[in-house]
Amino acid sequence: MRRLVADLSLGAALLAATLPAAAHHGTLISYDRDKQWTREATVTSFHYANPHPQLFFDVVDDRGSAEHWSAEMLSNPSALLRLGWTKVRSVDALAPGKKINVTIAPSRAGGTVGLVLKITDQQGADLVSDTVSYPQPPNAAAQKP
Amino acid sequence: MRLRCVALRIVVAAAAACFAPAGVAQPPLGAPPSGPGYPQVYDPAMPFDARDIAGIWTPNVVGFGGGGRCRDCGDRGFSLEFPVFTPAGQAAFDANTPSYGRALGSADAQAHPEEHIGRRRAQPPALGNDLYQQCNPMGIPRAILYPDPEELVVLPDRILQHFQWGYGLRTIWMDGRPLPKSEEIDLARWWGYAVGRWDGNTLVVTSTGYDERTWIDHFGYPHSDRMVLEERYTRINYDTLELKMVLTDPAYYAQPWVAQTKRMHLIPGNFIQSSGWSGLIEDLCAPVDEVDTFNRLIRDPAGTGKPAEPPR
Repeated sequence: MRRLVADLSLGAALLAATLPAAAHHGTLISYDRDKQWTREATVTSFHYANPHPQLFFDVVDDRGSAEHWSAEMLSNPSALLRLGWTKVRSVDALAPGKKINVTIAPSRAGGTVGLVLKITDQQGADLVSDTVSYPQPPNAAAQKP
Repeated sequence: MRLRCVALRIVVAAAAACFAPAGVAQPPLGAPPSGPGYPQVYDPAMPFDARDIAGIWTPNVVGFGGGGRCRDCGDRGFSLEFPVFTPAGQAAFDANTPSYGRALGSADAQAHPEEHIGRRRAQPPALGNDLYQQCNPMGIPRAILYPDPEELVVLPDRILQHFQWGYGLRTIWMDGRPLPKSEEIDLARWWGYAVGRWDGNTLVVTSTGYDERTWIDHFGYPHSDRMVLEERYTRINYDTLELKMVLTDPAYYAQPWVAQTKRMHLIPGNFIQSSGWSGLIEDLCAPVDEVDTFNRLIRDPAGTGKPAEPPR
């Protein structure tokens, strides 16, 4: 049994590399992933909470002005837990003042709000990883999250 | 050893079963599905007691926490059949604005006329009216369709159906009491009134008295408080619980609406772990102002393009 659990842990780890979490709250429709961008950013705050964790950060725009953004993650805390991103680890990784690279799908409606697609530290390591791919059950196109 | 081999197969199978992020009109990426498409911890061929349904069952491709429903579990919609509404049912359907499915008016939606319009009318949550967006209880059958685990706790006189998302609890009474007549129910419930009985090796659950603010599924199909839902649960092998449902609601539906067959798979009690603590996660939006904050700061600006409203 101990071996079984070990194998399951291995499985979870491998899945973490290949399988992301799913957004539960129907907000994906609000974002345009065809217009995603990646920028250096400074974390101002991070909320590890349902229905989706939220990241607030500043970026410097093309004119050199600071711009404040709000963004949600695709996953929720239970998905992050499954992927090893506990609350303590996540909050530490995204503490205020941390320098990150963040990939955002902006709102289709405009404004400085978006969906977090990827976060890395300055060395390129994934942070609070929730890179998501979805399974394709029957008729899955009709049940996009 | 056999269990261990099955466990290892989970990884490859579930990984292979996955496609790329599904935003709006995003093309699928990745390998085509293969393998069982769910965390097959137990050998389905092991002997089992068909009436022993206690345990944690999941329709999730990776067990819990995101990833959507597993490949053989059916989708998050109640039915692939077109419902036949009464005029009141059509009006109630039209009044609901969901955020799941193909985007309203999109080329994607227009390309799939074979699907009922309920699956092709999604709008951003900021423009919708799904009470789930405030983390209210999903009710039945929507909670059953949600891609997260549920635990069936079997007691001598009742079965508790405990849903991880929302930590919702539904009681199915097995003590022989009759189901109340819907027209005699004074106070509708978010989780309804339910009774169960065994029909051979199938657990038949009949329920009614649901608060009509809940939706049948995330596509916004409505129900009245007169809806009677029949669920038939059959354990078809060691690790699979199959569910067939029929909805009868003469106020809103001109004929019974038959659900797509759904499935859930058994996972061990220690499959879900948090801080070394096994069992269902308390997956709540609480306190309630957390979801209000999320909606105010992110959901609504994302859907409307307007700046976040100040705190209420």
